Amino acid sequence: MLTIARSELVQIFRNRLVLVTSFVMPIAVSAFFVYRHEIFAQLGSLGYIAAVVLFTVGAFGLYTSTVTTLASRRQNLFLKRLRSTAVSDAGILAGLVAPATVLSLVQVSGILIVFGLVAGRPDNVGLLILAVLATMAMMIGLALATAGVTNSPEHAQVTTLPVSLGVIAVASWVGITGTENLELVKRLLPGGAATELMLNAWNGGVALSDSLILLAPTLAWVVVAVTFAVRMFRWEPRR
Amino acid sequence: MSTSPVIEVERLNLKYGDFHAVRDLSFQVRAGELYALLGTNGAGKTSTLETVEGHRTPTSGAVRVFGHSPRDRAAVRPRMGIMLQESGFSPDLTVRESVALIGRLTRRDDDVARVLGVVGLTGKAKTVVGQLSGGEKRRLDFATAVYGAPELIFLDEPTTGLDIQSRDDLWQAVDRLREDGSTVVLTTHYLEEAQQRADRIGLMHQGVFHREGTVAELTRTLPAVITFTLPGAAPALPLPGVAGAGGVVRIETFQLQKDLHLLLAWAQDHAVELSDLSAGATRLDDVFRAIES
Repeated sequence: MLTIARSELVQIFRNRLVLVTSFVMPIAVSAFFVYRHEIFAQLGSLGYIAAVVLFTVGAFGLYTSTVTTLASRRQNLFLKRLRSTAVSDAGILAGLVAPATVLSLVQVSGILIVFGLVAGRPDNVGLLILAVLATMAMMIGLALATAGVTNSPEHAQVTTLPVSLGVIAVASWVGITGTENLELVKRLLPGGAATELMLNAWNGGVALSDSLILLAPTLAWVVVAVTFAVRMFRWEPRR
Repeated sequence: MSTSPVIEVERLNLKYGDFHAVRDLSFQVRAGELYALLGTNGAGKTSTLETVEGHRTPTSGAVRVFGHSPRDRAAVRPRMGIMLQESGFSPDLTVRESVALIGRLTRRDDDVARVLGVVGLTGKAKTVVGQLSGGEKRRLDFATAVYGAPELIFLDEPTTGLDIQSRDDLWQAVDRLREDGSTVVLTTHYLEEAQQRADRIGLMHQGVFHREGTVAELTRTLPAVITFTLPGAAPALPLPGVAGAGGVVRIETFQLQKDLHLLLAWAQDHAVELSDLSAGATRLDDVFRAIES
């Protein structure tokens, strides 16, 4: 798995397009949110900014780049080549997904640390870490599922839009309007409960037990996405 | 050559929806032999090969490689090298990185520089795969298959896209591996390669084995052919033949040397000139055509 991950990392850094769209752009967008945090805090809260940063990196740095990578590796039969080796399917997928996951975690951590220094530290760092990890797990699950219905890297530009734009929209909706109204709908949407968890972790004021229960919908999305991925994921192009 | 089977296939069936690609196929490949799986287009040979490699799951039937399921990668892949029909490399990795990556993942030991030397890619070691020609990619594919000199090597259309020199180099490398005891399973559209090198051949058509055996066993099922053109007023032939347009005569025989000698003696005795005389032993192509027809 580590051998594949190292090779994947080399490929990411050699492909400037992937590097810019998946890593430079999310950082730039996040930097803008941090720089103008007073305006966005008035719109929602500091927790809302943290949630938008998390979902921007999660949607573009992790989700989109993972779908594109898997579609590309399948299209040029690299997945089939890897399956000709002694590595298990799980090991192959873990190796392919690991670099983007680690880079995204580094990005989110770095941006949120800077954000904390600029705007004030979060109320509950442990809960914040939990929210970040659960969200990343959900985005990986959704990426594996989406890769199953994505034929090529070009096709990924279309198939990734509903989820990537959707989770950012949900994060903004929940972050700005809160969950006083349509609580159930907002929590069940992908990213809704995770956003509320981020708000609670950063802003505080909510009992820990009330926050932890928000992990359930996020992890349920992981289960749904992985179940879908197991049924739909293909290792070779359609012929 | 050992007679112990490296590959055992028993009543293999493969279905894609309603399409029955392979039906009740059974065969064995013995240690040290070169077994060629040949067939007409759509015969099911690639499906069969990929099932034996562990890339596909049989609809029914049993496949064992070294006594294991071929899907048990940890058990079988370190002992087998696979040259896929199409390349499957990352265009952003160099040739050296690609061979080292696949070599390490198959858990065989070798020296990347040595293997690149064997396939003539030493000068391309630092070139990214995206810049290689089609033939160079096939050689790279071969390099990953023979990395670590595995006991079993699958070669799926290995010489397609290669120039003559590269083909010769590839077969020399295969010969050296066989001298060291490797077993080879080959599919190819170049029948002369199979005829020259295969110990045994399985001929597939529409998902089933039509014939299996050595080249001699397969070709002896069809007669050899003698053709020539007779002048208008020639005496009766010493052999039964079929006369066609323009006086062209075709004689089919299972005793080529004896009947050819008889024919030439007859021509000598009657001072008959056999124009455009041609005689040839049955070739694999003829067996193929017979199956297709």
